[in-house]
Amino acid sequence: MSAPTPFHWGLIALLFPLVAAALIGLVAPLRRAGMPAALVSIAAALTSLLASAVLLAGQIDDPSRAVVEVVGWLPVAGSTMAEVGLRLDGISLSMLLIVTVVATCVQVFSLGYMADEPPSAFGRYYGFHSLFIFSMNLLVLAPNLLQAFAGWELVGLTSYLLIGFYYRKPSAAKAAVKAFWVTKFGDMGLLLALVFLFAQTGAFSWDVTLSGGWAVVITALVFFAVVGKSAQFPLHVWLPNAMEGPTPVSALLHAATMVAAGVFLVVRLDPLFVQAPETQMAMAWIGAFTALFAAVIAVVQKDIKRVLAYSTCSQLGYMICALGAGSVMAAYFHLTTHAFFKALLFLGAGSVIHAVHSNNLADMGGLWRKMRLTAVTFIIGALALAGVPGLAGFFSKDLVLEAVHERGLWLPWLALLAAAFLTAFYMGRVVFLAFFGTPSKAAEHAHESGPTMALPLVVLAVGSVGAGYFGSSFAELYGASYSFHMGLSGIVATSLGLAGLGLAWLVYGRRSLPESSFAFLAPIGKLAESALLDRMYTFMFRRVLLVLAGLIGWLDRYVVDGLINVIGWAAIEGGRRLRRVQTGNVQDYTYAVVVGTILFVIWGLWP
Amino acid sequence: MIGILSTLVAAPFLAAVVLLLVPDRARLLVRLISLTGAGVALALSVRVAADYDLDAGGFQMPELYPLVPAMGIDLRLAVDGWGVSLLLLTGVIIFAGVLASWTVKERSKDFFILLLVLVAGVCGVFVCQDLFVFFLFYEIAVLPMYLLIGIWGSSQGVTEAGPFRYVWKLFDIGGREYAAMKLTLMLLVGSAVLLVGILAMYFAAGGTTFDMEVLGATAYPRDMQLWVFPLLWLGFGSLAGVFPFHTWSPDGHASAPTAVSMLHAGVLMKLGAFGVMRVGMMMVPEGAVYWAPLVGGVAVVNIVYGALSAMSQRDLKYIIAYSSVSHMGIVMLGAATLTVNGWNGAVYQMFAHGIMTGLFFALVGIIYERAHTRFIPSMGGFAKVMPGVAVFFTLAGLSSLGMPGTAGFVAELMVFLGAWESASPWWTIPAILGAFLTAIYVLRAVRGIFWGPGPDPAFEDLADARGTEWGALVVLGAALVLFGCWPGLIVDFIDRVTPGYLGVLTQGVVP
Repeated sequence: MSAPTPFHWGLIALLFPLVAAALIGLVAPLRRAGMPAALVSIAAALTSLLASAVLLAGQIDDPSRAVVEVVGWLPVAGSTMAEVGLRLDGISLSMLLIVTVVATCVQVFSLGYMADEPPSAFGRYYGFHSLFIFSMNLLVLAPNLLQAFAGWELVGLTSYLLIGFYYRKPSAAKAAVKAFWVTKFGDMGLLLALVFLFAQTGAFSWDVTLSGGWAVVITALVFFAVVGKSAQFPLHVWLPNAMEGPTPVSALLHAATMVAAGVFLVVRLDPLFVQAPETQMAMAWIGAFTALFAAVIAVVQKDIKRVLAYSTCSQLGYMICALGAGSVMAAYFHLTTHAFFKALLFLGAGSVIHAVHSNNLADMGGLWRKMRLTAVTFIIGALALAGVPGLAGFFSKDLVLEAVHERGLWLPWLALLAAAFLTAFYMGRVVFLAFFGTPSKAAEHAHESGPTMALPLVVLAVGSVGAGYFGSSFAELYGASYSFHMGLSGIVATSLGLAGLGLAWLVYGRRSLPESSFAFLAPIGKLAESALLDRMYTFMFRRVLLVLAGLIGWLDRYVVDGLINVIGWAAIEGGRRLRRVQTGNVQDYTYAVVVGTILFVIWGLWP
Repeated sequence: MIGILSTLVAAPFLAAVVLLLVPDRARLLVRLISLTGAGVALALSVRVAADYDLDAGGFQMPELYPLVPAMGIDLRLAVDGWGVSLLLLTGVIIFAGVLASWTVKERSKDFFILLLVLVAGVCGVFVCQDLFVFFLFYEIAVLPMYLLIGIWGSSQGVTEAGPFRYVWKLFDIGGREYAAMKLTLMLLVGSAVLLVGILAMYFAAGGTTFDMEVLGATAYPRDMQLWVFPLLWLGFGSLAGVFPFHTWSPDGHASAPTAVSMLHAGVLMKLGAFGVMRVGMMMVPEGAVYWAPLVGGVAVVNIVYGALSAMSQRDLKYIIAYSSVSHMGIVMLGAATLTVNGWNGAVYQMFAHGIMTGLFFALVGIIYERAHTRFIPSMGGFAKVMPGVAVFFTLAGLSSLGMPGTAGFVAELMVFLGAWESASPWWTIPAILGAFLTAIYVLRAVRGIFWGPGPDPAFEDLADARGTEWGALVVLGAALVLFGCWPGLIVDFIDRVTPGYLGVLTQGVVP
């Protein structure tokens, strides 16, 4: 037997999670047993991780290598119009590694976090997880936009299933469908983009050159879907609600991987996006606005997961803005580092929630002494996110800012800087509120989580520290160049970040500044509470769409169908009337015969 | 020597005849004979697919038995790629349908006899090459519905409130007799219109033969094509649920027993669309091209209007019925595009929607049988007591909203691509919007029925699917996924003949 080729490894990385999902889904005893299903799922994730590590190692040796293997999938007029397969190159393999590393960490973490679930629910949870990893890999390794769309929709499905994991809880059920509808709304754009792309080029290929306005139209449609999936303003509304899912799910799907799929998609379609400067401009502005907007809201959140959710929106805004500035490298680098520290933060939050049984920051406090490991790793993640020099977020955020600066996008640049300050502030706030200060009642009985939950935290913390130092290797994989240097953006952003942390310390750590001195932020808090946008969507849905549907339904039953019924009634009634002609009286018939004969005679004699 | 196609058509019919000889009381025997008839139909349809020579294409396995030579009526059978895929659909649906109606108690023998006769008619339509016999089979497929709904249907409609309650009572709207009568009358009016069109073609072509090949090759005068096509479109279209002649569908499908809804929405509505394409568009091409903008426009109305109507319903069966109206709109849209992708998509959507809606109605039947209600607001939390049903319902829902990995996605994608290539590209946009609206009403239904706290104490001991019901669900669910992941299995057959048909169609038309 010959040595496995990259293609084989790619198949292993793609299909093992699918096999695990199928086993857990189809073999009911396995699923109901719980723990064995979890082990199957984790084994598949590990295998996938191993395969992607092997692949990436090979890729680093030969960065320009691109393995593409496809088979025909759909015929038209005797030839193949769509293919499925694998594309293994620098872009897909680095994303594949991120997905599998974070997924494996999250799955191991879930062993402890979800341990209280009944076995069948536990098995179901892992089945969905495996399905998610498969879908994400399907998207990442896609050789064309069509397969990527399939993966894109399937991750949306698994997101729906996992947010709705506690399906008996009405708020979770609501959040799940909301997430699906909002992202599906965006996905209409991607579907339309697929149709247009096929009409223009006769294929769904990644590298396309289009003439005229089509590049702008198609990229704008793709971006519309990205806005939905990557939770950008104004379609970000589903992400905070998505926190109804179990916390490890938030870490994997709604922080590290699925929501970043939008960024990945744009990176993949970069050859098309560079032909559409108009779309790029829109991306820069929307990304920067989201980064600032979500950071502001994050400051006033009371729920630790919601802080992190808005922070995710904000950081995704950075990436989108970088893409708008035309820097694939910056966006992708930030995606990578963000995946590590945001997954770490979510898992850390999960560890805390597991200990105090509450999401509310007010129920925490003083956990530093009770949960040393969680605290240390969480703080590493928070510092990385805040952009403290030396940690991963510092390098990538710096690169994003520099790219935006270079492109001369002044206002977006300023927005991102302001967001950097706020980011440091709200993360400092969370750290001081959760881990320091006086413990609340719930926090008094907290204790450190078990080893299955500790180990992933450590792994991700290492990533959050180290990932920043691999900038040049990443750059090589994407075919870009990177060397670290501290420019204007870097200096300003870092000082702002440190200032934000300092302010947070003054307010929430030393408490030398009362929280009430931020009363001027209250209107923002109000705005966040009122969720204006959410209400507008709810209004559109309930008062416009459902009313319209009700109207159409009424119209159908009473007018369209009513006409049919009237015709039927008219036939019956007409028959009833005509029946009267048959009186059964011989005299009547005689009259009729006589009158008829006379009429015929007149008719015959008429000149 | 009797050919495979006539055996296929005769098998369900023979099973029905055998059933006549079996006593009513031997329930198991009745069921087994029906299952055998259905199984043979399924096996033979698979065999036809295997025997069909993909390289050769065209019509294959021809058979000819003269019936009325004086009028040129013969029993001509042959099958093409479209026929192969639709035969497979019929085989799968009837097999699952018999399994799903395993527990019919009331006069089960008569029920199965009618069901099998109906299926024989359906198979006949898909392989028939003589227009007269085509029409005959078509009627055989439609008429048993009257008895099936009228006798075995359910009368429990959703009680209507509001100013029109009196009218509803007056007409017995929602009752099974009303539904059966309405469905049959509307379809018969359609058939009458259709017959005019068919006879017009027969006489215009010389009045010597009903051979569809000859009738199709005849170049009718343009004026005639322009008035014949609407007759064929509306005649067949009434069965395909074309707006505004779709209103029999919600009442009919809601009142019909499980297997009948499965067959009717799953296969019979496809007869209508198949007829529009095979007889309408292919035989009077100039008419088809002339009227295509209207056909497609109405199809788009079907898609959006059906989806919105479905959204406003609270009765589970009405939701599924309106969703059929919406999805048949996608079939008709594909047909109206007159492009290879559109036609492939239309035929594949017939297949995909057939399986999907069959699965839906099988599940609704299971839920209704246990809970004795179809009113969604009274449900909730059913996933706890019937997890299997919840899983399959979600699967069917995903196919209907076009989730990749299910057959529905492939079909919709092809239709969307075709629509954009067609003469009226704007169709694509409302069609895609329709898919989004589907996501709304389907997931609302899933949430309303299966998610949330509960179930109500009254529903606490509802049983999950059991025995043969699993058979039906698994067959249909597996087909959805298999043909969604590997669409070539079916699309290869369809695509083998579509370009040729379209070539002929567009050739015959002088622009």
